[in-house]
Amino acid sequence: MRKKLLFFSILLSTLFCQMSFAQQADRITGFFPGTSFTRFVEIVERETSYRFYLKESDVKELTVNLEAKQDKLEDVLTVIFDKTDLKFAISKEKEVFISRGEKLVVGFPTDYLLRNVSAESSAMAQDEFVRNRRYRVGVPGPGTEATLTGVVTSLENQKPIDGAIVFEKESQRQTITNREGEYEISLPKGNQTLLIQNIGGYTEQRLLDVQGDANLDIVIGEGVFSLSEVVVRSGALSNVSRPEMGVQSLSVNQLKKLPAVMGEVDIIRGILTMPGVNTAGEASVGFNVRGGAADQNLILLDQNTLYNPSHLFGFFSAVNADMVQGVELYKAGIPASYGGRLSSVLQVTPKSGRQDKIGGSGGIGPMTSRLSLDGPIGENTTFVVGARLTYSDWLLDYLEERADLGASRAKFGDFNSSVQHTFSEKDKIRASGYYSKDEFQFDPDTVYSYSNLNYALTWTHYFNDNLEADFSAGQDKYDFEVQGEDNPLNSYLYGFDITQTFLKALFRHEKGDRHIFTYGFHGIHYDLNPGKIDPLGSESIVIPDDVPRETGLEASVFFGDEFEVNEKLTLSGGVRLNWFGSFGPQTLPDYAPGEPYLPENIIGETNYADGELIKSYLGPELRLSGRYALNNWSSIKAGVNTMRQSIHLLSNSSVITPTDTWKLSDSFIKPQTGVQYALGYFRNMENNAIEFSAEVYYRTMQNLLDYRSGATLVLNDRIEQDVLLTKGKAYGLELYLKKVTGKLNGSIAYTYSRSLMLTDPTEMKEQVNRSEWYPSNFDQPHTANLVLNYELSRRINTTLAGKYSTGRPVTLPVAKFQYGGSERVYFADRNSFRIPDYFRLDFSVNLEGNHKVNKPAHGSWSFGVYNILGRDNAYSVYYIPEGGKLKGYQLAIFAEPIPFVSYNFRF
Amino acid sequence: MRKIFLAIALTLGVLQACRTPYDPEAPSEKTSFLVVEGYLDSNGLRSELKLSRSVPLDSLTAFQPETGASVFLSSESGESFGFVEAEEGSYWFEADLLESKFYTLEIVLRNGDRFSSDPMKPIQTPDIIDAGFLRDEEGVEVFVTTQGDENADDFLWTFDETWIYRPRIRTNFIYDPAINDVRTRTQAEQTALCFRSEESPDILLETSSRYEEQVVFRQTITEIPTGDERIMERYSILISQKALEQDAVKFWEILKKNTEDIGSIFSPLPSLIGGNIHSVEDASIPVIGQVSLGVIRQRRVYIDLVDVSPWNYIDPTFNDCVIEEEAVMIPDYGSVFSGGAIVPARPLMVGTTIVGYFPVTRRCSDCSLYASPVTPDFWEDD
Repeated sequence: MRKKLLFFSILLSTLFCQMSFAQQADRITGFFPGTSFTRFVEIVERETSYRFYLKESDVKELTVNLEAKQDKLEDVLTVIFDKTDLKFAISKEKEVFISRGEKLVVGFPTDYLLRNVSAESSAMAQDEFVRNRRYRVGVPGPGTEATLTGVVTSLENQKPIDGAIVFEKESQRQTITNREGEYEISLPKGNQTLLIQNIGGYTEQRLLDVQGDANLDIVIGEGVFSLSEVVVRSGALSNVSRPEMGVQSLSVNQLKKLPAVMGEVDIIRGILTMPGVNTAGEASVGFNVRGGAADQNLILLDQNTLYNPSHLFGFFSAVNADMVQGVELYKAGIPASYGGRLSSVLQVTPKSGRQDKIGGSGGIGPMTSRLSLDGPIGENTTFVVGARLTYSDWLLDYLEERADLGASRAKFGDFNSSVQHTFSEKDKIRASGYYSKDEFQFDPDTVYSYSNLNYALTWTHYFNDNLEADFSAGQDKYDFEVQGEDNPLNSYLYGFDITQTFLKALFRHEKGDRHIFTYGFHGIHYDLNPGKIDPLGSESIVIPDDVPRETGLEASVFFGDEFEVNEKLTLSGGVRLNWFGSFGPQTLPDYAPGEPYLPENIIGETNYADGELIKSYLGPELRLSGRYALNNWSSIKAGVNTMRQSIHLLSNSSVITPTDTWKLSDSFIKPQTGVQYALGYFRNMENNAIEFSAEVYYRTMQNLLDYRSGATLVLNDRIEQDVLLTKGKAYGLELYLKKVTGKLNGSIAYTYSRSLMLTDPTEMKEQVNRSEWYPSNFDQPHTANLVLNYELSRRINTTLAGKYSTGRPVTLPVAKFQYGGSERVYFADRNSFRIPDYFRLDFSVNLEGNHKVNKPAHGSWSFGVYNILGRDNAYSVYYIPEGGKLKGYQLAIFAEPIPFVSYNFRF
Repeated sequence: MRKIFLAIALTLGVLQACRTPYDPEAPSEKTSFLVVEGYLDSNGLRSELKLSRSVPLDSLTAFQPETGASVFLSSESGESFGFVEAEEGSYWFEADLLESKFYTLEIVLRNGDRFSSDPMKPIQTPDIIDAGFLRDEEGVEVFVTTQGDENADDFLWTFDETWIYRPRIRTNFIYDPAINDVRTRTQAEQTALCFRSEESPDILLETSSRYEEQVVFRQTITEIPTGDERIMERYSILISQKALEQDAVKFWEILKKNTEDIGSIFSPLPSLIGGNIHSVEDASIPVIGQVSLGVIRQRRVYIDLVDVSPWNYIDPTFNDCVIEEEAVMIPDYGSVFSGGAIVPARPLMVGTTIVGYFPVTRRCSDCSLYASPVTPDFWEDD
């Protein structure tokens, strides 16, 4: 696919090719008795270093009748073209351009190109123009290969760059610059694309027309800015040409342009600017994709699953944006290699260490500080480490004197690291780890805390040019804890945790030019403690209670193929066979057959031994999508995919909260399944500067979890008695317009989507809203997102971001009555009302430091205002009895404009 | 829970939490449903069943009694126990029931609509083991200790509070227009000792099987912060302990969730409330209410000011209350005191003769303006 993209860009680039002309003697000798002009050209090209550029149709009828003896080509051609309207021009490089009517005249200085390539060192040299112009290098000579030599130097300090990779994409040839920045690479003559990559930094590109041996010096930036420019470009092309649909990519640089809350760049807030992605609440990191619940998103940090992707109850993402290279969100067209969740896959790609030197980056904001370091250790090893910490406690101490906060405390931190070692050209190993911890207390007696711990080892092996594989193994842990110390007698420690151990093998096999196979195996072992309470301290009389541990094993084999049927049609598809087993030890009740799972229907119980299979589920998942290119700039895509999910979040509230606990499928709770159909139209305009897409989708979901009225989810060891068999459906339209280049760029997204649920009519426990379709907690029909960037200069960049959405559904009281000594409320049907619509505008300015040589560190400032209109968007509405009267309130979280400033640096 | 939210908002420094009044469009749905409330004592203690109707949210009063209904409890063996409407919407029940039988509550409204309950079985509520109070720096905590058993695992506690309410300035004198003179007040005229009462607005639930040997130890019933009016002199709380069956626990939990817990960031979604009463004709007509049968166990606790002092009760609204320094002399009694807003407080003596009274405003001296001057029947002085 990449090749194709590249080819596409070369095509575009050649339109801008510049040519230069010169006259030089190279004599022609020969007898041409009525020889066709085409034949004549062949002979001349064989015997001399002249190269002809002409249109076949122009010279079709033309014959050559002459005898030449050490004649100049100019003279010969003048004779041949006599009495025709053909004109010729000959360049210094002995290129002969033949044209009809007017002679080609391009009056560039003869050294224009080389000077442009090697000598220019201003920032302007790095623009798209330089990168997409095709340069002719070398003097034509015999042979099909040419040797290119040159020096790669740094844009920032003009010093040679050691270890930059110089490679040619088409022929897969590559070399690495030496200590002096020098390189030498042999290339086939003709059009080539040379990529020069400073690992961990910048990738520069030169489109070349290689004529012969030549010298090519390249200046390359070391900064990270240009990385994103490359990402954006490939994204632009892939928008139309990649076969999957419903995929959204964001580079960290795009993320950084979005206005941040409290100066924190936040990956999930970035994702929320995409069509089809929404959140039920402002502060919620639990996001909803195409009408799916928040637990239906698989959040992958490299190979690891993050169970809680948020800090401080969801105000910040748990992943430090400094450690991220980019994120990709699959809403549909999920590759067969991913599975396990119903709605989406969010793949967070961590940064890898640079190879040239040790450097780092960091930032200081009002809430947090972060620092990361990366670089080489020895020749073949690189590392990245990063940490982020809060220092909000001082703020709370400060506030405590002014507000009645009791002994509130909140702190969090996270730590990322990875080490990559290259053993040989064929083997690489990467070890990575992530840890995050949150702790907060809102009154002196209760401390909440949770942590993520993830680590993985990945071995990449290149078997040959066509086959590569990743083998990874690791563990993901999440645990949550509440300590209550209100009263020594009732002090308790409540918690739940989950440990998942995984093993994954992913093969990527290019079969011929037209197939890319991916296949492999994915195994996950789950060890889940759904909830446990213990007495705390010797005086406590709280009885230890726990929901028995659950053990599960999920095994999937998958096979996917990306098949280029022809130039127009590409199919991508796959099958994933998913098996889930629930294992003992466990004691489960037996319910009377055909009766609902209720306490009165228990007729016995069954004991399962350690490791004994209790129940298993096997099901295929099908992924299919196709892309039909209408032309080079537009395509139609369609897809269908089915998903399965065997681990469920038990949540009775609209947003993910840490107290929500997880549950594995078992004899009573079946895996959730879903199918999504999607159709889309993709079009790039203005030379890929503008991308447009329109997608429609329809989803159905089975075995969703909704709960009986008043169900308690914490420490409920018979949750099946409170779960209602529920179906779901969702459908929508997503429109997205994005301008990727220019001083003014940005995106507009509009989504119409519905997400509905239905209690299965056969459910006997309770039928929500009389078993009619009702909106899910996150059904927000209209959503619009706007991001506008305006680059005042290379150093000053301003962003305006806006978000509108329909208010989420709520269940509201319709009547009141007296009961239990107080006024009480009677609620209407579930989710039959909506909170007011949401609208917010944010503004930020990013100031980059200058790019002076030998600066020890590059800093940037970010200023802005969150919710610049100060609109008090309702987060929720509620009624509480006050003085015997029932009063309705709406609660806003960020009700006022919130200014922020943060300082970021890198070195 | 609101505190949590506040804490988060403040944690973020400059964030402003904003709670503003909200009035959604009035829903057009039917808003008048039958509401049934009662825990009927099966040991012959007189107990109350309340029948009312729900009202739209913007109504001024929440209690719209359902009067003139005929209510009876029938056993599976055909016995029937009638209810007497003692007050509007309040129906009294007094009967000894058999623990082993199932009973059904039948309600026929004035308009002929018929409702009945699911069959109920009386629950033998265990006794209250201990009830008392604890003093700490925050105030007073009233607690109860009990032990569940195999029949009674879940408990609901309700309580009725009564306390002595004194005016800032006590006076034992009254102007009597009949004799145009000031005399000592009779018992019926006294304004220095009053009683205030309140029903518990909280729903207190606990499951005994959560604890070792099902002992619910020192379950907090209510907390009285230091300086609260309730312990200005002597306070009494009647704690009622009611064992509940599984379904009733669910009902009370939903009721609790729907009011006390809603609205904060981490609140669960509110739930539809039903109960064990259904319309006989149309099962889809909503009825609110869970009626239970069982023994009500009660314990009364008294707390005196001396038990908890220093208490420092002070009501600043009466800080301007003083006995005037200028006395009202005998000839002025009629003109000053007959209006009732000013009452005699202390005599002005010349030798052994009263020549006038130092006056005080009624607002400062008459507790019957704020509470009941009648001593409740149960009240015991220590």
